[in-house]
Amino acid sequence: MENWLFARLTFLVPLLLSLSVHEWAHAWTAWKLGDDTAERLGRLTLNPIAHMDPIGTLLLPLLGVPFGWAKPVPINPTRFAPSVNMRAGMMLTAVAGPLSNLFLAALCLAGVALTARLEAGAMSHFLEIAFLLNVILAVFNLLPIPPLDGSRVADSLMPRRFQPAWDGFAQLGPAALIAVIVLPQFLGVSLLAWPVEQAMGLVGAVRELAGS
Amino acid sequence: MGKKAKTIAIWVALILVFLVSFDLMNADEDIYPEDFSVFLEHLEGGRVGEVRANSNELTVTLWDSGTRYTTLGVVDEELTRKLSEQGVLLTWGEESRPMAMLLSWGLPLVLLLGVFIYFLKKAQGGTGNILALRRTTARTISESSKVTFADIGGAAKAKDELGDLIDYLKHSKRWVEAGVRLPRGVLLEGPPGCGKTLLARAVAGEAGVPFFTVSASEFVEMFVGIGAARVRDTFETAAKQAPAVIFIDELDAVGRRRGTGIGAGHDEREQTLNQLLVSLDGFEHHKDVVVLAASNRVDVLDKALLRAGRFDSRIQVPLPTRNERRETLEIHTRGRKLGDSVSLGSLADKTDNYTGADLESLTNDAARLAVRRARTAGEQEIVIEMQDFNRALEPAQARTSRFTQLDSAIIESASQLAQPTGKAIVRLELREGTLVEGELVWADATFIKVRNVADATETIIPKYQVQKLEALQGTELARAGDVVGDRWANRMPDLA
Repeated sequence: MENWLFARLTFLVPLLLSLSVHEWAHAWTAWKLGDDTAERLGRLTLNPIAHMDPIGTLLLPLLGVPFGWAKPVPINPTRFAPSVNMRAGMMLTAVAGPLSNLFLAALCLAGVALTARLEAGAMSHFLEIAFLLNVILAVFNLLPIPPLDGSRVADSLMPRRFQPAWDGFAQLGPAALIAVIVLPQFLGVSLLAWPVEQAMGLVGAVRELAGS
Repeated sequence: MGKKAKTIAIWVALILVFLVSFDLMNADEDIYPEDFSVFLEHLEGGRVGEVRANSNELTVTLWDSGTRYTTLGVVDEELTRKLSEQGVLLTWGEESRPMAMLLSWGLPLVLLLGVFIYFLKKAQGGTGNILALRRTTARTISESSKVTFADIGGAAKAKDELGDLIDYLKHSKRWVEAGVRLPRGVLLEGPPGCGKTLLARAVAGEAGVPFFTVSASEFVEMFVGIGAARVRDTFETAAKQAPAVIFIDELDAVGRRRGTGIGAGHDEREQTLNQLLVSLDGFEHHKDVVVLAASNRVDVLDKALLRAGRFDSRIQVPLPTRNERRETLEIHTRGRKLGDSVSLGSLADKTDNYTGADLESLTNDAARLAVRRARTAGEQEIVIEMQDFNRALEPAQARTSRFTQLDSAIIESASQLAQPTGKAIVRLELREGTLVEGELVWADATFIKVRNVADATETIIPKYQVQKLEALQGTELARAGDVVGDRWANRMPDLA
């Protein structure tokens, strides 16, 4: 009956919370490095409403589209403290988001281990979904394709002589991203299949270890 | 609610949403389809606890294991009898779950509405908020910047009349009993710098009623209709807080006579003026809202503005007299240390034609010079002496003295006109070399009018063209045979 809706809601809630932490991590790192742009825009908060994009965060996931986005946190590297290298600062703020997701994933996995002995219920379900989501978010965001966080890490790490070529690629970034998402679907493989499989395996292993 | 509390509340709410949907999602999950024969078997075995029949779909709950399954079948008379024999609970229709209904209908609706509002907001942000433009720009004066009549020197008559107005606003009962109608509008007129705006601020300080101040130029906007809308909004805002005073500064910005200018007939400014006229009286009669306005160009104001019932009370704020200048100087030197040499009386004598603003600037200049003098002399205490005032007066005097030489001759000649000692005959040498000789008929700040004695033709000559003026007859100077104007003539154009 309405099951599809509730299934998506159970998926949307952990997604919203994880995305909030992700965006907050960007803003917090920038703030610590001296850039208060995000703070002044009210983005230095865990409040999901500040970070969510009505379409990318609510509508698409509810419609079952396996793709979405949150409002990006603006970073102004020129406002970093003088002691902070701008390239390094950009990389740190970019990597903070996926790192926060990895951290959350680890937390959730620990939670799974703790609740393994209990009967399966809402709590363990939540932790499992959140764990999987955070792994996916971390891996996906670290892809070095321009709008994603990974591209900014790559941008900061790459030698300067590659910069012009990279800038050319950056223009095609959104198209490249769509291609990367859509093409594997046609080929019958999934880009995230391997990490998801590994993560599932990990959950199973932890369950077994903690439960026995 | 604090920001943190809000965040926590949203997290808790989201987790609640998760729990509810998780519950609802799993509600039907363990129901599996089963054959009808299996159901019959279970029924024979006495394991069936509950049956819900929705047309020909039966949802069966076994009482021993709690297992639920669906099966297709018809609940006929025989089956009903069997069920009741076994004490099985039989219900009809679909299972109602209000929470699920609410979520499955409400959520998409809320979501759709949210997206709609989001786009609406976005679209509005692009074009700028038109509605905000239509709102009044009038401000109320803050406590800290209030002035009182005591802070204004001179303008005794204006103070008197405005005092009546303030008294009316404070004790309207007394005036109403006497049958006095509150003036609709009060127009302060006078040359620039004589304290019109200051007087209005003093009214705000003393009246003790809401005082809205707005500059007429704020009514003039790029978009047609905005000015009129702002006038309306200003009056409506004031009416809500009546009794109140609206002060419109530089009224001539919108009050200029209609039907003049390019594209005369109907433009934005006229529309604004029309709205102002209507707001001042007409059908939208807001009693107890007094409109105070200031202008130094009363001559260009539309006549409809000045008629009785609109700006019917006109208060002159002229150049200060000697005593008023003295009073003003006293106010401006109040917080400053003056030397014994300073005589405000003689300063007032010297500052003929000075406005209040000029006097303020004069005392400020003198104070500045005193600080400079004290600094060069290495003195600690700063005392303003007469010499500072005199030096501050210098530039202005240099400016006027150039006139005075010529003017004294002319004025003297002119004064002779009134006395029957004979005509004043002058000879003017103009810059291009022409000579004009004749009877001096009339002179003012910029022009001289000379009548040729021979053919009685009259010539008006701008003063700046005069190179030399010789008075030939009828003046003191003529007897002395003096020539004036030399020193002055070549420097004139910058003053004309």
